[in-house]
Amino acid sequence: MRAVWAVFKREVSLYFRSPIAYAIAFALLVFLGFLFNGFVTQSNGQFPADATAIPGLITFLLFLIAPLLTMRLLAEETREGTLELLMTLPMSEGAFIIGKFLAAWFYYTVLLLLTVVYYFILQWIGVPDQGTAFGAYLGAWLYGGAVLALTMIWSAVTEDQVVAAFLGAATVLVLYIAENAAQAIASLQLTSDAMANFVRELGLQAHFGATLAQGIIRAEDILYFLFLIVAALFITTRIVETRRWRA
Amino acid sequence: MVGAFDWTERERFMIEVEHLTKRYGEFTALKGISFTANPGQVTGFLGPNGAGKTTTMRILTGFTPPSSGRAVVAGYDVFNQSMDVRKRVGYLPENVPLYRDMTARGFLHYMGEIRGVKNLRQKVDDVLARVALLDRAESRIRTLSKGMRQRVGLAQALLHDPEVLILDEPTIGLDPLQVLELRALVRELGRDHTLLFSTHILSEVEQVCDRVIIIDQGRIVASGSPFELRAELERGGRVLVRADAPADAVAALLGTVPGVALAEAANDGVVVTPVSAEVDPRPELARAVVQQGWRLIELRPVAVNLEEIFLELTRQEQADMSIADVAMVDVAETETTEL
Repeated sequence: MRAVWAVFKREVSLYFRSPIAYAIAFALLVFLGFLFNGFVTQSNGQFPADATAIPGLITFLLFLIAPLLTMRLLAEETREGTLELLMTLPMSEGAFIIGKFLAAWFYYTVLLLLTVVYYFILQWIGVPDQGTAFGAYLGAWLYGGAVLALTMIWSAVTEDQVVAAFLGAATVLVLYIAENAAQAIASLQLTSDAMANFVRELGLQAHFGATLAQGIIRAEDILYFLFLIVAALFITTRIVETRRWRA
Repeated sequence: MVGAFDWTERERFMIEVEHLTKRYGEFTALKGISFTANPGQVTGFLGPNGAGKTTTMRILTGFTPPSSGRAVVAGYDVFNQSMDVRKRVGYLPENVPLYRDMTARGFLHYMGEIRGVKNLRQKVDDVLARVALLDRAESRIRTLSKGMRQRVGLAQALLHDPEVLILDEPTIGLDPLQVLELRALVRELGRDHTLLFSTHILSEVEQVCDRVIIIDQGRIVASGSPFELRAELERGGRVLVRADAPADAVAALLGTVPGVALAEAANDGVVVTPVSAEVDPRPELARAVVQQGWRLIELRPVAVNLEEIFLELTRQEQADMSIADVAMVDVAETETTEL
């Protein structure tokens, strides 16, 4: 626990001092600002203000954001050799990896909270639904945690940050388009719907777009994201362990 | 040979290694090595690159598990009680991995936080003072010289008052002055720690260690005090003779001395190769020079460098050749500082 906190603190301070983290935050906020502006002007006050658009967009953009935030976490430690030093301290791989993951999730949480400003702007020009907004933000938060944990796996696999980022982005995209793949499978009508449903349920969108993003908070969706986080952290831990055994 | 580990003997051997083996797929890096190390002793691990020094150290620090065999450090098994071992060991890995963007103080503070060191601020100041880095404590590690980084790494290894210190090639890449400083520090630390350090520089071992373990291709090929080892390795070795006469004349004369196989003029004197390892030609050489009426300036064994020793030790293993049968290359002690 002590080690988790120490690693967490260092990583968080690194995020807030790292140019790339600021570049990501800047790009994301500018981009969302433009889209939000267009969205508000187009709706022209005709429709009920929709506060779920922004968290929805963020979940889509996570395929870019998450790998950039996590690519460094373990790849750098392996390349610099500091992993060897850290793994001779009285600290388990698990504590080390959880500390790193929580720091990434924390930074993402701060980014997400910055966008809550759009909710308040909407409140000023219309009447956004509080419940759906809460569901969408909760969903985007869990979605982000899951995707960060998944992309972190690649940072443990390779010591090349660029490779880690590309593989991370690919992984997230595959899970993102599972929904489309499911539709394709269903349209082929080769098998029963079970296959299509299975693929669909594996994907990220099935647990966000139609449920949390609409303010429908289901235990199975929350469990899906939490399961992804735990599974990904477990895999990462085993990879680092294996690296150590082979060293 | 080391007996079975006995808990009542916990204090007797701080490090106890038995039949340690490490395999990487087909390749066997360690082929069953056994040794012990005691408190208050500096044990030098001597060997060429790839001999298994780093692997052994990584096993002892709990970084990587052995394939078979057993290692007990400070009374705890490195595999089953890894966390207990890690609490009691300070480790300086080869190439000193550090976070280059952190300050020296920040880095030590981070290490101490993970270790849960009590009175951390005070401890960080103490170790910084011990390695003479207090004035650079707020500098980023990337701006520090190689020698200073080495000392930051050493400070990190000392932070938690470990019983055992393991330093992997701590003097590599340092300038001669830094090497001297670091050796002095290692000697000093050796008094109140069990200190294991590796090097491939023979003279370093002689200056710093109480005991030497020579390791090659995953095997211990020799061990003992530096003095014993050196004497053994130099027996039957070549001798350098300098007299105040033309080198060619000296060489011609010495070539006729009994027990001499070859005498040839070199830059700084005459290098004499005895006929076999059993013969020490030095007394006869001295007599010959003096009888000729020349003055003898120097008579000493040609400095044996580590690569040659290894060549010999390993050839001995393979072909059972004696040390004297192997031609040695004249490399003087400039080797020692790795300029």
